[in-house]
Amino acid sequence: MAEIELKNIAHSYNPQAADMNYALDPFNMTWVDGGRYAILGPSGCGKTTMLNIMSGIVQPSEGKLLFDGVDVTTLSTSERNIAQVFQFPVIYGTMTVKQNLAFPLVCRNYEKSVIDAKVQEVAEALSLQGLLKKSASRLTADQKQLISLGRGLVRDDVAAVLMDEPLTVIDPDLKFRLRRQLKEINQKYRSTLIYVTHDQNEAMTFAENIIVMDAGKIVQVGSPAELFDRPKTTFVGYFIGAPAMNFFDCQASGGYMLSIGSAEIMTGTDLSKVGSAPLKLGIRSEYIRIVEAKGANTFTAHVQRVEDMGNYKLVTAVFEGHVTKVKVERDIAVPVDRVELQLPAENCCVYAADILVS
Amino acid sequence: MNFRHKYMFLLPGLLVLLGILIFPIGFTVRLSLSSWDSFYPGLDFIGIENYIRLFTDDLRFWEAFGRLSMLSLTTVFLQYVIGFSLALMVWKDIVFQRFFRVLFLIPMMTTPVIMTVIWRTFFHESLGPVNDFFNLFGMNPLWLSSEILAKFTVILVEVWQWTPFMFLLLLAGLLSLPKEPYLAASIDGAGPIRTFVYVTFPLMAPISIGAIIIRLIEASKIMDTVYVLTSGGPGTSTETSSFYIFIKGLREFQFGYSAALSLTYLIIMIISFTIIAKILVKLMVRGN
Repeated sequence: MAEIELKNIAHSYNPQAADMNYALDPFNMTWVDGGRYAILGPSGCGKTTMLNIMSGIVQPSEGKLLFDGVDVTTLSTSERNIAQVFQFPVIYGTMTVKQNLAFPLVCRNYEKSVIDAKVQEVAEALSLQGLLKKSASRLTADQKQLISLGRGLVRDDVAAVLMDEPLTVIDPDLKFRLRRQLKEINQKYRSTLIYVTHDQNEAMTFAENIIVMDAGKIVQVGSPAELFDRPKTTFVGYFIGAPAMNFFDCQASGGYMLSIGSAEIMTGTDLSKVGSAPLKLGIRSEYIRIVEAKGANTFTAHVQRVEDMGNYKLVTAVFEGHVTKVKVERDIAVPVDRVELQLPAENCCVYAADILVS
Repeated sequence: MNFRHKYMFLLPGLLVLLGILIFPIGFTVRLSLSSWDSFYPGLDFIGIENYIRLFTDDLRFWEAFGRLSMLSLTTVFLQYVIGFSLALMVWKDIVFQRFFRVLFLIPMMTTPVIMTVIWRTFFHESLGPVNDFFNLFGMNPLWLSSEILAKFTVILVEVWQWTPFMFLLLLAGLLSLPKEPYLAASIDGAGPIRTFVYVTFPLMAPISIGAIIIRLIEASKIMDTVYVLTSGGPGTSTETSSFYIFIKGLREFQFGYSAALSLTYLIIMIISFTIIAKILVKLMVRGN
């Protein structure tokens, strides 16, 4: 495995055009050896372009790609020593599972004893031992996807395993098992895994670090907890979490205070430098509390509806035109008309021009 | 809706089917049980006499059938190999790609009978330009009147005429293949031969089987090429089943007997194509 460095990488699918549109805006990034990353973003945000630049399928318009300090920007896919798992399982249907796993080593003229040992090891790691003699075309979609992954793991020289929405065709119950297996493999082989997805649940449960992208730009890189608690932009706040973060239009009213309509809210952010610029206060529905009496950092909202979501209740309330979503435990009684909502200062994020004020 | 209304909607289609398919087959079955010929026209009933004659006293039909099998399997095999090679050639980005794609299709755009007349002129043993060339080396091959060379000429004309059809189907198949298996093969380190054997060929198997079966059905009906080029000769060396049935039915007017030949031929063909399709699936799709 290797450390992967992207230096001023940018890509345009039409670089000759007068008004060049970047599919991927210039950026720098380092993928630490053995790390587990997810690239998350809506369709068309440039995440697959980024993955394809690393695998060599796409040549970047600008910048350099370094594997352990070696410039591989112009090298072909086969020369880069990467493994890639695609959205739909790619297997060699005329081969057995064993032949599939051995194929990358056979192509590189490894000795038979080395191939057998390596195939056995990877088959055990992926729980495919019992299927080695079976025709690969007769396996289920998740088993086929494991073979795609296994072909990457049999090689010792793989710099990183790149996965492009690999669980799309997998049943939900098997997705959970596969994600767990991927984590175990990462821990066992210390392989750098880079996982592209538009599903935040997949990204949050799989990765140590998540790269959130929007319209060709990297908007935030961080751990799942960082993305959840302190989204750097309102986009990340909307995109991560279900339901999305609550946002209130507001104005600074001195020090750490801001006003949302008639309510005065204390935040954990020093707002003395933002002046009178329009602000947004963001807070997760998980952190808003329903309290019995009016007090500090509270406002009275009209309850619109209460939905039973199985393991929690989702309360939708309106305060002076601001729709607010609140997650509460199932056994908490929610008033039917008016409710006092409290916004804890430590969970309030303040945004100026959609960027987090720090 | 009344249950009977369903049948009213089905009736037009059923009548067309009855008129163009079921009635002719039924009539042929009945005809094959008669001795209708130019001397005694009429639907008399002679039981399975025509079939007994076919299976006990008509070696020429079975020889024609063997010849047909050889000709159709050889021509379709060659068409597949050449068609696939040409399709692979213009599938990749090459210079004049569009020009070659059109060029390879030209034989299919011509009228088969007229082209066969031109080929007959080419291969004319004393007047044709092919032998003008061979005469320079002191040779005078009998393209149309030697038993072996006449078969070769029929195969050559058939391959020339119908390879473009195979080329077109296979090129369409190649252009619709997904990119990911090729990227995966490239990442795995597979070279061009391994990529063809393990990626292209298996992915193309369903299309290949379809194209081969279509061409085998067409090739087994071979008639115009033989009729114009050699008239089944020399002797009966290029005579095929359909040509023999044509002779019995429309030259000798043995309608009853030719109906029995046609039905037997149809049943053998259905069984043969079923077996061939299964073998092809086993060989090409499952890779056994």
